[in-house]
Amino acid sequence: MSYEKDMLERIERGEQVNDRLDIPLLRYLWDASPLSFITSRESYHDFFKRITVLSSFSDNEIRLFTKFLHHRDFQTNEVIFKQGDSGYGFYFIFSGAVNVYANQAGSSGEIGEFVIKLEKCQYFGEMGLLEEFNRRSATAIAAENTILLGIFKPDLDRMLEQYPVLGAKFLRETALIMANRMGQLTREIVALKKRVRELDLKA
Amino acid sequence: MTRNQKIKLYLFLFLLTAAAFFAILFPRLTLPFGFAYIIFLMSKPLTLWLTTGTRKQRLGYFFLVLLGTGFLFFPVIATMYSADFSSLTDQFPHAQRALQEKFFAFKVMVFERSGFRLNVDPVGLVMGKIETHGTDLLSSFPNYLSLLLEWVVLVPIFLYFFFMESRQFSRRLLEAIPNPIFEKSYVLFSQFNTKFGEYIIAKFIEATILGTIVTIGLLSIGFPYPFLLGFIAGVTNILPYLGPVLGILPALAVAFLAKDPSVSMVGMLAVFALANLIDMILVFPLLVSKIVNLHPIVVIVSIIVGSQLAGVVGMIVVIPFVAFFKLLFKEIYKDLSVQL
Repeated sequence: MSYEKDMLERIERGEQVNDRLDIPLLRYLWDASPLSFITSRESYHDFFKRITVLSSFSDNEIRLFTKFLHHRDFQTNEVIFKQGDSGYGFYFIFSGAVNVYANQAGSSGEIGEFVIKLEKCQYFGEMGLLEEFNRRSATAIAAENTILLGIFKPDLDRMLEQYPVLGAKFLRETALIMANRMGQLTREIVALKKRVRELDLKA
Repeated sequence: MTRNQKIKLYLFLFLLTAAAFFAILFPRLTLPFGFAYIIFLMSKPLTLWLTTGTRKQRLGYFFLVLLGTGFLFFPVIATMYSADFSSLTDQFPHAQRALQEKFFAFKVMVFERSGFRLNVDPVGLVMGKIETHGTDLLSSFPNYLSLLLEWVVLVPIFLYFFFMESRQFSRRLLEAIPNPIFEKSYVLFSQFNTKFGEYIIAKFIEATILGTIVTIGLLSIGFPYPFLLGFIAGVTNILPYLGPVLGILPALAVAFLAKDPSVSMVGMLAVFALANLIDMILVFPLLVSKIVNLHPIVVIVSIIVGSQLAGVVGMIVVIPFVAFFKLLFKEIYKDLSVQL
């Protein structure tokens, strides 16, 4: 769904299209243009173009998608969420980095063992968006001054209501992320089982 | 939590408390603001339909503002000036006489049977009080009129603000929420908005259905003032449990005072019973109960507390607030049980 195609379809359907200058749209297109080297800061558009799971999104869909995002600033060592907290959102790392820690006991006050460092253009917390009663399975802490773009359950509901095709596409991509994570987990479990069997044989 | 984060959090909580105090201190602004917000939430499905797929959003919003304002004032004005109302006010002296006659007959009956002479005149006392209140109401009519005019100006302005700016405004507000409480506050706020909007729409539809059934029923049995009594039954039905009782009182008074033998008390009671039965069996379970899901005792206690805090408005809006607090406490309890 491109912006031009969307407009043409509306005209064909006999719907009225905006006959005035849409300043936010022009600003967005200016920022999104590959020739807009004058702007020093990276635009949301460039950022999401680099995110592989959203590669099926057209320019216009990315523009609409960014309307539902929340910009959140975190300082170094600031807790984004703790293991066991209720989870409602999915975050993209726009700048900075995030350390993920997991506590196996799950109930003590400590942050647990370091698991992974997530860098720019990576994402986390997708389970919070899909599960009805989600508990965060790990603690996320900003490794440096970090900007996150978050999308939460009410935003997804609104997106599905206002732009059902975009909402369905985003859900499909989120399901793909989950499927990748599941595949990764399965491979890890198989490798661990193999390792246990080898240790058993040695013993 | 770092020192900066703590300062941010306390500042945010302070601003929130200050806003609450402001709302309490200036009810002349808060009430029309709240009313406009209720209409905004109610018109959300219509807003979506009017503004999606067309770029003429401003026109859509303008139309909605007109519709919302008309919706707010039309029923009240129409009923006030309806033939039913003027006829009922004309009947007041006759009603007073009829009541006095009935009470006199009762006094005679008591004297004949027991020899006891009743020296009280409750009818005169009550009617006198009604007349005094009526005169007070008339003398303060200019105040009510200026208040109504204020609302006529303020409600559309606030409505237009909600339609045009609410998204940007709520975005700015959300940005101000400190990180540690952001996710939960945002989701709870959204849930409250949805619940509140759904509840108000459901109650409005329920009141309309009940009012229509009562009006049609009373019309079909030839009962006087069918439109006014139907309207009162619909409006009072907004109050859960107490509403049906309050709604039938005016009709009972009319039936009691009527001299015309064609006015049937039994028929009227049957109409109200049928309307409330349909409401209880069909309308309420399908529309309202799923939204609030509160125990009847909690509902009754909430209504009493709501009426003490904010009068009739409090009685109507207290239910979604209690449903929200139930949700909030459930969330806090869940978090505490994970931490313990």
